[in-house]
Amino acid sequence: MPFYEKKDLRDLFNGTLPWEKTREIMSCPKDDDRFDKYIQILQEQVTYPEKILMPLGDHLNVVQKGSQRVVKCDCGREFGDWRQNWKLNALIYVRDTREKLEEIYPGFRCPDPSVCEVREFYCPGCGVMLKVENVPVGYPIIFDVLPDIDGFYREWLGRPLPEQAEFTDMTHDVTRGWA
Amino acid sequence: MARKRKGIGEGGRSLRQMLEENERIYRETGCYAGITEPTVLADDPVKAELFHSRIMAALISGRETCRLVSASPYVREVAELCIGVFTPEGDNIAQSTGIQIHVRLMADNIQWMIRKKYEEEVGIEDGDFFIANDPVISGMHAADVYDILPVFWERELIGWVSTVIMEMDVGAVSPGCMPTPNVERGTDGLKFCCEKIGSKDRLRRDFEHKIEISLDMCDIFLLDRKGAIAANVRIREELKNIIREFGLDYYKRATRELIEEERRNQIARIRQRMIPGRYRSVVPVEFPMSKQPVSWIPGRVDTIRLIPIQMDVGTDGYMALDFEGAGEWGWHPFNGTPQALWGGVSIVMVQTFSYDGRANLGSLLPVDIKTPTPDSVLNPIQIKKLATSTPWAPMLDLFGMWTHLLGMAFYLRGFREETFNYRSASGWQMAGYDQMGTKRPLFAAGTGNFGPGACGVCDGVDCGGWLATPEVDLGSAEVWELFVPQLEMARRFEPYGAGHGRFRSGVGIPTSIMIHRTQQCVASGALGSASDRIIPNLGQFGAYCGGKRNTFLVRFQDLPQWLEKRQPLLYELGFMGDLKERVEKMGGEIVDVGLIPEPTEVFEGNMLIANSGAAGGLGDPLERDPRRIQEDLNQGFSTDWIARNIYCVKASYDDQAKEWRVDDAESGEMRQRKRAERLAKGVPVKDWWQKARQRVLEHEIDPQLTEMYQSSARLSPAFLKEYREFWALPEEFVF
Repeated sequence: MPFYEKKDLRDLFNGTLPWEKTREIMSCPKDDDRFDKYIQILQEQVTYPEKILMPLGDHLNVVQKGSQRVVKCDCGREFGDWRQNWKLNALIYVRDTREKLEEIYPGFRCPDPSVCEVREFYCPGCGVMLKVENVPVGYPIIFDVLPDIDGFYREWLGRPLPEQAEFTDMTHDVTRGWA
Repeated sequence: MARKRKGIGEGGRSLRQMLEENERIYRETGCYAGITEPTVLADDPVKAELFHSRIMAALISGRETCRLVSASPYVREVAELCIGVFTPEGDNIAQSTGIQIHVRLMADNIQWMIRKKYEEEVGIEDGDFFIANDPVISGMHAADVYDILPVFWERELIGWVSTVIMEMDVGAVSPGCMPTPNVERGTDGLKFCCEKIGSKDRLRRDFEHKIEISLDMCDIFLLDRKGAIAANVRIREELKNIIREFGLDYYKRATRELIEEERRNQIARIRQRMIPGRYRSVVPVEFPMSKQPVSWIPGRVDTIRLIPIQMDVGTDGYMALDFEGAGEWGWHPFNGTPQALWGGVSIVMVQTFSYDGRANLGSLLPVDIKTPTPDSVLNPIQIKKLATSTPWAPMLDLFGMWTHLLGMAFYLRGFREETFNYRSASGWQMAGYDQMGTKRPLFAAGTGNFGPGACGVCDGVDCGGWLATPEVDLGSAEVWELFVPQLEMARRFEPYGAGHGRFRSGVGIPTSIMIHRTQQCVASGALGSASDRIIPNLGQFGAYCGGKRNTFLVRFQDLPQWLEKRQPLLYELGFMGDLKERVEKMGGEIVDVGLIPEPTEVFEGNMLIANSGAAGGLGDPLERDPRRIQEDLNQGFSTDWIARNIYCVKASYDDQAKEWRVDDAESGEMRQRKRAERLAKGVPVKDWWQKARQRVLEHEIDPQLTEMYQSSARLSPAFLKEYREFWALPEEFVF
């Protein structure tokens, strides 16, 4: 199994590792300890004390906060229980007119706002764009990924987490209260 | 008393008995062929490696043999062919290089013959040739023709070899070999349902007559068959050599262990690289048929269909794909089939996981597809009556999206370098008179003209794409110009189609051809069918997906004069916002003919441009290193407009140094202002949700979308239930 220094992996993630080394990592068999080093690198990049359990994408991680598991931005902003779609606690800006869409897709590149909208989700804490979602008008906000965190730690890593939580989608509990 | 007929399989069993027995054992043990303890390969790894290498060498040399015999530029220039070797039950043992979609599709053809009792009712003999190209049985589109050869050892069928070639002409209605203006089966052209076309290693003369009478490009088609047969026979003989060297018992056991070993390896890869859980997205697909000249009048209707996609990764290392909520089938040639879905699974699993040359059926066994709802666009019950010239088209975007979901799982696990996505391309196909005055389909290959999605550690590959085949090079443009009355025009990268992000997608390069030396020619769209009024949901995290794809027809009024003056044509499309006006100033007319343009007559000097869009970038564009933007500007991969408006980078051109430079301080301030702007204009999702819900409740949605939602709801109560739950709609709500 190949072994990579944490520094090399950090550079790889930042896109600053020399191409020859990047190419080597791409082509070689995968390193079994990648996840643990990944979590260490992510943990070093944030200032909050909570332990990162699982990344959810750029800037977002599921962290253990007391007995809760919550989604947290690198800036410290929290987005609620990981089993509820974090987007519900973000800021949203919807490109639903030709004028707004042409700011990104000028002229012939512009989709049709009568059927398509581009939803941008921002972190209310730092303004980073966390997700762009292109969907037909009226389509529910997509819950991109609901990781089975306990299953992963228990079955794949062989290190069950002390606190277990039911693996289920709880998004509708939120929207039900909004009507 | 009549003696019971002896089967051609192992121990006198019929192939059907062997197939059913193999399936039963797999169900009971979970291991391929019931191999719970693979030992033969493990006992002597060197021998095992040699054995596998010999099979692969046979396949690859067979593929090259085919290229030497064939005359089609698809085979000779692009190498759009692939060869596989199979167990007697029709399970793939190994696959040559080439388009990997056919690992399962070839097998499905063989297993269809076995289940249809070919052994008893048609006859399967040593030296027989079979041919298939019917997507109702198996395949992505009718243009893919499979040549299948049984392999015997001392009167026992011990395997199969199958070659697939994409044909330029299968006798379909104009234009092209995968036409879009067709809705009924008869318009697809010739369909072969695993038919026997030769015996004793000779192609039947009556088959050749049929091809000569039916196809305009009969010579190409027949030479492709001969190329495929040469390859198949060569591989068959090499397999016999392998058996002589290793022994029949070893061959039988080792080939099955190769499948079981790959199944285990695949599960290990999934467990090593992914995170278990649920991953979701949606692929809306447009079928603009209202202007297509179809004879079945009810087919002249524009529809949009939803295909939600859910990937469940279990802790057991198995994956399941679910398309619950897919809308209804329609009268168009783009309906998918459950078999075509397996084609998509083959290509994605091989090219994202099993790229070590060991791909076979075992690569696919850890994946399950929940059978799409009958009557959905992925499982039309009327499939026999429908045209199936292009089920491939929506599959490209659907499996581009699956790749996106896989990429998300890799990213979460820390293997960011494996993150990637892709989308389908736009293109042209034609029919008419070639330079020699012969009327026939005219469908040229192209370069990889769109940009694949960003990787998690670098930008996407420029003009590097598409996933379906690693060969995105059309070969020699001059050879294609001999086959199609066109001139390949100079072209430049088109940055406005890129998916912008911290890492951007690859940048596409529009295909641009000029019609040249044809008496009469008709052109229409090809391939790309999925949404573009609705761009795909391929932005990775905080990045954008590339924009709408275009298919342009450009006519110049004074082309000879323009050429005489050696003025540049449209080698660079430039800013998309004023392209139409700029072309008009050149005395030209640019017609955006939509994604699937209806057949249009084209003339000498007309230009056809396929301006594909790229897949998704990755991460917030404001986090892109300004140095990368500077490099992009200097290489023609970006523009000042993009740098300023998307990336918030101040760039200026240094006339003396002849290069772009970015102003870091000014750029930093621009980015800070942009973040503040986002915080000011963004609204809490709850507030937006309440307004959006009201629109849904009051049916203030485009009628075509309403029909799309109704279509999904008609087939899927689960879709409707979940839709109601998200928007907290009353039980009685209907679209």
